[in-house]
Amino acid sequence: MTDNKAIRIALTKGRLEKDTVGLFEKMGFDVTELREKGRRLILSIPGQNIEVVLAKAADVITYVELGACDLGVVGKDTILEHGGKYFEIADLGFGRCRFALAGKKGTDFYGGVGVKTVATKYPNVTRHFFESKRMDVDIVKIEGSVELAPLLKIADGIVDIVETGTTLKENGLEVIEDVVPISARLIVNTVSMKLKKERIEELSAAMQKAL
Amino acid sequence: MKKYDLLTPEGTRDLIFDECAALRSISGKLRGIFAGHGYTEVITPGLEFFDVFNNKSRHYPQEVLYKLTDGKGRLMVMRPDSTMPIARLVGTRLRTAPLPLKLFYDQTIYRANPKESGRDDEFHQSGVEIIGGEVMRADMEALSVAAEVMQSFDVDDYRFEIGDSGFFTLLSSKLTLKEQELDDLREYVMSKNYPALDEMLAKFGDDKYARALGGLTRLFGGGEVFDSAEKILPDDALPILKQLKKVYETLCTLGMGGKVTVDLGFAGKSSNYYTGIVFNGYIAEYGMPVLSGGRYDKLIADFGVDVPATGFAVNENAVAEALLKRSGGMLLPAPDVMVYADDHSIAAAIVHCRKLIAEGMTAEYADLADINEARKLAASRGCRRFDTVTVSGTKTESIG
Repeated sequence: MTDNKAIRIALTKGRLEKDTVGLFEKMGFDVTELREKGRRLILSIPGQNIEVVLAKAADVITYVELGACDLGVVGKDTILEHGGKYFEIADLGFGRCRFALAGKKGTDFYGGVGVKTVATKYPNVTRHFFESKRMDVDIVKIEGSVELAPLLKIADGIVDIVETGTTLKENGLEVIEDVVPISARLIVNTVSMKLKKERIEELSAAMQKAL
Repeated sequence: MKKYDLLTPEGTRDLIFDECAALRSISGKLRGIFAGHGYTEVITPGLEFFDVFNNKSRHYPQEVLYKLTDGKGRLMVMRPDSTMPIARLVGTRLRTAPLPLKLFYDQTIYRANPKESGRDDEFHQSGVEIIGGEVMRADMEALSVAAEVMQSFDVDDYRFEIGDSGFFTLLSSKLTLKEQELDDLREYVMSKNYPALDEMLAKFGDDKYARALGGLTRLFGGGEVFDSAEKILPDDALPILKQLKKVYETLCTLGMGGKVTVDLGFAGKSSNYYTGIVFNGYIAEYGMPVLSGGRYDKLIADFGVDVPATGFAVNENAVAEALLKRSGGMLLPAPDVMVYADDHSIAAAIVHCRKLIAEGMTAEYADLADINEARKLAASRGCRRFDTVTVSGTKTESIG
């Protein structure tokens, strides 16, 4: 039966990967291979019949959505930006931060009648946010430090991930409004959830218990 | 300079050789099942007016439709679905047809998926619609034909999942929700977004309907689901459960035991479309359902005839892809005979081909002037026999 096959979980490379590996360790898994991975991208957890794939955040969603991986650990930020069809079964609590609208300190973002320009790495999140306010804005996609955009006067505000707010502060910006809180989520392919129910529910419960 | 002359648009592809053969073989198999059960085929236009897909019980968001305008400036779409055109047909030309009406279709569907999502924008879909009839019997028939379809793929690890949209409709109607909240709730149930669902339902405290909704979303699996559901469902939802259990048991008697699963957390994509039993078919190799369907009693009323209906659709490309992946590709049969003609025997060789074909063989005419090249072609095709037709007569040699 399918239930005996290995299950494959995709982890978002970087901090979420470290946190998840820490969680696996707490659950009693042998994480040596995950810690000493070298440049390998597909790893295994001895004795667990679990394969771990390391990928960029948006790719985690793609792999899970297409069924190449059964589960994935990915930030809510990527989920909101990328969309897609999969189950989002648990909030893993780590990687906590938020999306926020920020602007130059002391300016009134909502003031005036002009159409505002907003710079962001997350155009879809930004569009949804302003659509829900029924407000027209021009969105400029920026790849690097979004904080630069208001300073260089190409945008009135930014929508970005905010953790402590230090970067904003140091660049003379401040949070105007919180958009949505973010944390790491456990996502599951819709077919895997049905075909490998026991194993997935078991793993999900164990992960949540170890949090 | 032309830029796109050597490309196919994103989400479309040329199906060649075994890809094409696999698709046609699935299509033939389904056609055999549907026709065998007395369904009649209909073909609806590939182009329809936008309005057909935009009505009360179901509407397609603008962004998933391929749109164009006709010569009069009217908004047209490439058919994103076959059920709504069939509902239109039932509301118009088939208005006086005796019920129940059993129709099947096998045609391409067009959907504009988000960019680079790896999904097909054009795919072949085959399915049935049962219009009218007594609800329990029609449901059971649709389910059993769908089950037969899943069995016909000859894979042992498929799953056939049933549910009922009635649970969500009933339970959510007992909660005071704004329109947006109801949409969100539906989305959380459908995406099994447990954290968001729990947060939303928490504000209803110990309300039995809210609690049931939270519990139901987690209830999927085998027959044990029914016992668990009985404990968490309010009394007014029990008749739906009883009915679903009966369906489950009937399917088990039809040789589906161990393959049928239940998911009580079904909320539908939009309000009001599914109105009863719903079902999905899964194959391990494909990350999405390959078959889905259910009861939709309100749709045809949008086209002027108030008649209940149920049906399902199969994504033929998905099945073909999954089965090809599983078998590691399929070997296309080589022609039995390759026939070569010299310059004076072209007509005679064609006659010879026809004769072989009439005898039940497959015979390919080598459109080459050089006999050695023709012999090479025969070998590369995998033919076992090479016939030469020349002025001195017909000769047969075996090769390979």
